[in-house]
Amino acid sequence: MQTSSRGRSLSRHFLLFSGATLILLVATAIAPRLASAQAGGPPGPEVCAACHKASYETYIDHRHGMKADARTPAARGGCVTCHGDGTAHVKAGGGRGVGGIINPASRTLEASRKNGICLTCHKGDPSRLHWLSSTHAVRDVSCTSCHKLHTAHDNVRDKLTQPDVCFACHKEQRVQINKPVRHPILEGKVACSDCHNVHGNNPKQMVRGSVVETCYQCHLEKRGPFVHNHQPVTEDCTICHQPHGTTIFSLLKSRPPFLCQDCHASSGHPVQFAGPPTGRTTSPSQLGTVGRGCLNCHTNIHGSNSTQDSQTTGRFRR
Amino acid sequence: MSEKSRHFFRMTPLAAALLAVYGPVLAQSTEGSLSVGAGTWSNDRPQTGVYDGMRDSGGYGLFDLDVVKRDEATGTWLGLKGRNLGLDIREIKADWLRQGNIGVSLDYNRIVRDNPYVFNTGLVGIGTTTQLVPSPGIVPGTGSDVELKTTRDRLTGKFYKNLATGFDFNASYRHETKKGNRNWGRGGAPEFVVEPIDSTIEIGEAALTFSRGALQMTGGFYGTMYRTDNTLVTTSLTTLAPATTYYLSLPLDNQSWEGFLNGGYNFTPTTRGTFKASYSRATQNEHLPTADIPGLASPLAPQNLNGRLDTTLLEAALNSRPTRDLTIAATARYREFDDKTPVQQYVVAGAGAPVYNTPFSYTNHIGKLDATYRLPRSYSVLGGIEYNAQDRSVPSVGTLWVPFREKLDETTYRLGLSKSMSETVNGSVRWEYASRDGDDYTLPNNPANPLQNNINPLNISDRTRNKWRALVDWSPVDRLALQFAFSDARDDYEGPNSYGLQKGKAQNYTIDGSYQLSSSWQFHAWYSYDLNKANETTQQAATVTKFNELKETDNSYGVGIKGTVFAKLKVGANVEQFKTQNKYEQNIVGATLPATQVPTPDVNNRLTRIKFNADYPVQKNGEVRLSVIHEKWKTDDWTWMMFPPGGPTPWAYGTANDGTTVTSDPTQNSTFVGVRYVYKF
Repeated sequence: MQTSSRGRSLSRHFLLFSGATLILLVATAIAPRLASAQAGGPPGPEVCAACHKASYETYIDHRHGMKADARTPAARGGCVTCHGDGTAHVKAGGGRGVGGIINPASRTLEASRKNGICLTCHKGDPSRLHWLSSTHAVRDVSCTSCHKLHTAHDNVRDKLTQPDVCFACHKEQRVQINKPVRHPILEGKVACSDCHNVHGNNPKQMVRGSVVETCYQCHLEKRGPFVHNHQPVTEDCTICHQPHGTTIFSLLKSRPPFLCQDCHASSGHPVQFAGPPTGRTTSPSQLGTVGRGCLNCHTNIHGSNSTQDSQTTGRFRR
Repeated sequence: MSEKSRHFFRMTPLAAALLAVYGPVLAQSTEGSLSVGAGTWSNDRPQTGVYDGMRDSGGYGLFDLDVVKRDEATGTWLGLKGRNLGLDIREIKADWLRQGNIGVSLDYNRIVRDNPYVFNTGLVGIGTTTQLVPSPGIVPGTGSDVELKTTRDRLTGKFYKNLATGFDFNASYRHETKKGNRNWGRGGAPEFVVEPIDSTIEIGEAALTFSRGALQMTGGFYGTMYRTDNTLVTTSLTTLAPATTYYLSLPLDNQSWEGFLNGGYNFTPTTRGTFKASYSRATQNEHLPTADIPGLASPLAPQNLNGRLDTTLLEAALNSRPTRDLTIAATARYREFDDKTPVQQYVVAGAGAPVYNTPFSYTNHIGKLDATYRLPRSYSVLGGIEYNAQDRSVPSVGTLWVPFREKLDETTYRLGLSKSMSETVNGSVRWEYASRDGDDYTLPNNPANPLQNNINPLNISDRTRNKWRALVDWSPVDRLALQFAFSDARDDYEGPNSYGLQKGKAQNYTIDGSYQLSSSWQFHAWYSYDLNKANETTQQAATVTKFNELKETDNSYGVGIKGTVFAKLKVGANVEQFKTQNKYEQNIVGATLPATQVPTPDVNNRLTRIKFNADYPVQKNGEVRLSVIHEKWKTDDWTWMMFPPGGPTPWAYGTANDGTTVTSDPTQNSTFVGVRYVYKF
């Protein structure tokens, strides 16, 4: 159906009229507050609330909105603390980026500039001292890539919803945490931030100084030291384990005996063929694949404190 | 007293204390929600219910709460948050904070792991440190069904106090008990026993933080403690023949302390320096449990390990933006892990004596430089180089079972291009190349087993790594957002020895999309393809080499929709499926595998999860929430169950002894229906 030129003209007039009415209404509503803003400096949160009601309401319910804490935006000028002086923005009647207003969640603002706003107050937090050296900072990830401030629930700060935020970029891990052997991440019992400090600069973004020290937070029995230490255990758990999830028991990266044979060559049963036995057996040469694989007998693989003879101790059997 | 009732009574004082504090508060104006309901699973879910406390079919209570009381005048927050309170995996957190001044929180969290298998066994003494394996063994399948489980009860307390402007004190303490049983082995015989777990982890940290102007510093103390009630498990056959008694050692009590000081200083608005310094000491000096057992230790051998691990970390970093377009980040890091445990002779006589303990020490030197240069039109180019030198102590020959290296160096080069700050297309592509090599191998040189020399162990082998990664976000119109991710990593392993990993490959392709169908309906979908492959060479016999190609392929997808059916009814539906396939190809050079060697069969797993939920308000502050979940798990994993080639017959431990079998239903279907009432304050 074709629209007549007269119809188009009426529509244009109607739009113009509606727009003008809307601007007038908004201007009427905020004029007194604007006057007070012009008289006493940048506009306060109540002025911003006239147009940004939802953002205002979540702000005043947020830690940032607590005036009694002298460190917060609320105690230091309100919205202008993060969004800049909004005088010109208000005077111009608002609009995205109008009047130099800053939106730290904007896609079009440089990451370092966005982060600079947050770091003004947060660079002293112990976990963020080294932010600028972190992988995320070097790769221009911004605070608002993960954090949502003007919401009642910042997903990344809740263990149950945090992984979904991380999966926005880390796709392999989304699949891994659904594999049959995994940590209780889906249940919100373990979160990415239990092991990773994404604001820090430790290797692999670990929360502690190394992978092993991070794992010891929950698996302290593995630290030993033991009478007989298994070398990879003392170096890095991820040599054998994939902590995000695997298809092999105990979060192993690969199935025994293949995994063990990546370090151990030897005559006899250590280099056995990988295949399930055809029946019950006590032969070490047929037990490396079924059940716990090599660990059926080398049961204390993380370390042994036994003083029995070398046939048992140095080989982590008891 | 049953476990359930014990926990009930343990929780009662905590509940009473919380009620005393929160009762009056709840009577005042508060914000938050309270959710009460019930749900039921139609069938057991051994695989998917490992951690969620709902492994068995039947009804469960659904109870969550989230209460926040805020006092604007004093800056006070009072919070109480409980999750899964009707389940075994309950957690509850209470916190009080006078913002910017003082705060305290207490958090209780239970983590349960239900082993997905059923162990049919004649083992006597499960849960104790004395266990008897039946001899003669039971007829497989005629024992008692045992389900194994571990439970962690974690209590965390935190305290915060602002001492002066920019000067804070933070302290935390965690107490965690772990109890239960884990499937284990007799150590030297393929016979089933369980590891009884009854241990405690304690972790405490206290730190002072200073932040004013350009300077930020934090320093404090971090301590850990591991305590176990079990140090040795004695296992025997039911015949009680002395020679059949095996003593299994367990990890012993250990503890550590660490002092640390971290800081940062902004030299100029565009230049910042940071540092880290820490020193820790961990010790283990418990009486060795086998030292008193005749025949297991010589009177000449030490009774304690005198174990001591010292770790020193020093790091300095400089970040600068010398021009508007150039950013530089440089880091130098030194970490020394020094196992100062004295080397002593622990096995003085007997087979293979003497045997010494085997401390390992490492020193890492890492130097890293990354630079980002901003190009016109919001493009950036990133370049970086990282050098990681690792020095290791090499154990003495005689306690060395594999080739080892004293020095290992890895250099990584990074290059990337990214586009940002666009409303429609943002993304990045990165390439990383790493080369790892080291000094000559120290070989075991075991005259009885010269083939031990003949492998390049995976963690110290020469290796080159090529890695690509790309991520693109594209939003062609406001309603549609698409994301494409791609990564490809390839490793090549080399070395002077014949065996070990040869190649590794990891790939991921993912597409995500979301579409705003209307103001009240949104659709999203994603698909991921993952491939992990390893090629390795192993020794098949004295003169035969075997090539293995291990391949795991994953295909996963998710589709979902959410929206409002009419004014009040909100609904959502989601389908996810995760499929994995493992293939284990084994070949011998120039020959076919002997008929007696049946290659490891493929393993296929498939998890499908369908969810539906609906929220309907029944009053101003209350709504009814319906949740329906259907799960299907399917596997042909033969790890315990000999599917092909032996048919669906469980493998059984031992021949003359034991007879334990381990089973799990290869197809598990279960449906959950839950209804809850959610009241919002």
